[in-house]
Amino acid sequence: MKLALHCQKVSHWFGPKRVLHQVELEVPRGQFLSLVGPSGCGKSTLLRAILGTHLPREGLTRVWRVGDLNGAVVAGPGRDRGIVYQHYSLYPFFTALENVAIGLALDQTSFASRWLQWPKWRRLRKQHLAEAEAMLVRVRLGDALRVYPHEMSGGMRQRVALAQALVMKPEIILLDEPFGALDEATREELQQLLLALHDENVATARGGSAPAYTVIIVTHELNEALLVGDRVVGLSQYWDWKSEDHTSCPGATIIYDKAAPVFKLDRAREMEVFVKQREEIRRVVFDPAVPRKRHEHIVPMNQAQP
Amino acid sequence: MIRRPIKRSTAIILGLASILLLVGGYTWLSHRQHQKNPDDTTIPTWSQIGKGITQVVQVNKRSGERWLVVDAKATATRYFMGLALGATAAVLIGMAMGCLTPVEAFVHPPLSLLAQIPPTAALAVFFVLVGTGQEMYVAMIAFGVWPALAQTVYLAVKDFPEELIHKSYTLGASHLEVIGSIILRQVMPRLIDALRLVIGPALVYLIAAEMVVGDVGFGYRIRLQSKLLNMSVVYPYLALLAAFGFLMDFLLRRLQARLCPWYVQGRQ
Repeated sequence: MKLALHCQKVSHWFGPKRVLHQVELEVPRGQFLSLVGPSGCGKSTLLRAILGTHLPREGLTRVWRVGDLNGAVVAGPGRDRGIVYQHYSLYPFFTALENVAIGLALDQTSFASRWLQWPKWRRLRKQHLAEAEAMLVRVRLGDALRVYPHEMSGGMRQRVALAQALVMKPEIILLDEPFGALDEATREELQQLLLALHDENVATARGGSAPAYTVIIVTHELNEALLVGDRVVGLSQYWDWKSEDHTSCPGATIIYDKAAPVFKLDRAREMEVFVKQREEIRRVVFDPAVPRKRHEHIVPMNQAQP
Repeated sequence: MIRRPIKRSTAIILGLASILLLVGGYTWLSHRQHQKNPDDTTIPTWSQIGKGITQVVQVNKRSGERWLVVDAKATATRYFMGLALGATAAVLIGMAMGCLTPVEAFVHPPLSLLAQIPPTAALAVFFVLVGTGQEMYVAMIAFGVWPALAQTVYLAVKDFPEELIHKSYTLGASHLEVIGSIILRQVMPRLIDALRLVIGPALVYLIAAEMVVGDVGFGYRIRLQSKLLNMSVVYPYLALLAAFGFLMDFLLRRLQARLCPWYVQGRQ
């Protein structure tokens, strides 16, 4: 397994408030990782540390591009990581098509070249729009290409945001509670979309190539975490920090890390497996009554390599 | 009922009725004044106004020029140059303040103070600094409009969600592209709104300055003809100023609808 991301002893705090404590996380390429945890445990802070907008106070994050041996230390938001937020997902001044095409333009051309090499830019622009259109058709928005965000439903907006991230083919796609504000039916539809991407990953890996999508999804919905993730990581402040000689909680850390059952799009879900793991996560990660030992519920995955 | 919608036809009838009321009121006022003094020029009759219009359009025997043409040319040149300079400065400074915190810390305090000075009150300062030529009018309008415009741009940039800035970097944007291709687009409709609001004040600054030191221009002509109580020339000039302001507002709204359809539709 090739590594896509490594968080090395990531700690973070805001003033006296300790948020993250020595978070250690390796994510192999092609994995769909669900990050769950109680409110205020620092899920979004960890995601921001990976994105590079709030760098950790201690520790570091590395991202590997395909074929890269050493990985690059995250120093800020960059082209190798895509992000889909719950809100503010789209540029309000662009149509769906333009929202998806803008990334290709920003990535493949420069401000100066768009003004100074007009004929070349026009040719490229056509290509970008065609690529963006194909991506929107893929997320089933082929009939809403010229629609502005204010005219879209919440589900449509998130589809466009997903297409915007996917078209860039980043090393990792970060989803920050992307379906949190959606109704049940729309949410399920978008979860199916993620499962389809996972299926694509599996098919690509079988063909011997590197899987295209590595996804980290932050969610407070356990059902969603188990459904779309092939691995569930639980971040929690309810761990037995006293046993490690701390006098007060040094911040949340990972206390649950196990593979999750992979559900096929066309098959019925094994509800028994699903419910059993959901209850286990609830007990281990969300219950403050019984603090857990740090490594008690962590099952090491097959050793991943850069 | 508050904000209960009315039919479009009713709205048109009400609008026309208000204009008719204005015209009718003026006609009655002028008629009454001319009954008292048949030679009155302070509230001219429609026929006197007609003669006044002819006077400003025809070639003047003494100067050999058409008043309306020379005044409109002088006033419009000063107005657009001043507005363009003020708007350009406002965009540059407002964007820099909104995007770069050191610039914000450096410029915001003086901007807040300068924005409170009425440019007409500082007229003497402009005479001293840039003389009484074309530059003075341009500087006065620019100085009058840029603080308000810069504040608008600055606040619009501050309102831009941080998440979208971060997202732009993940899409491969450079700092310049985030500012020029992303934030500026969001700011544009609010800049146009702010420009619509300064059309009137900019005209006030210019007319006031022309009244004081001008030797040509709308302000100069209005002051001169007012002294002679020749209101049949003054009123058409005032009507032209109103029409100009209305046209500018209309054109800016059209520009906004064309450049920023998302903003106009969203507001509706």
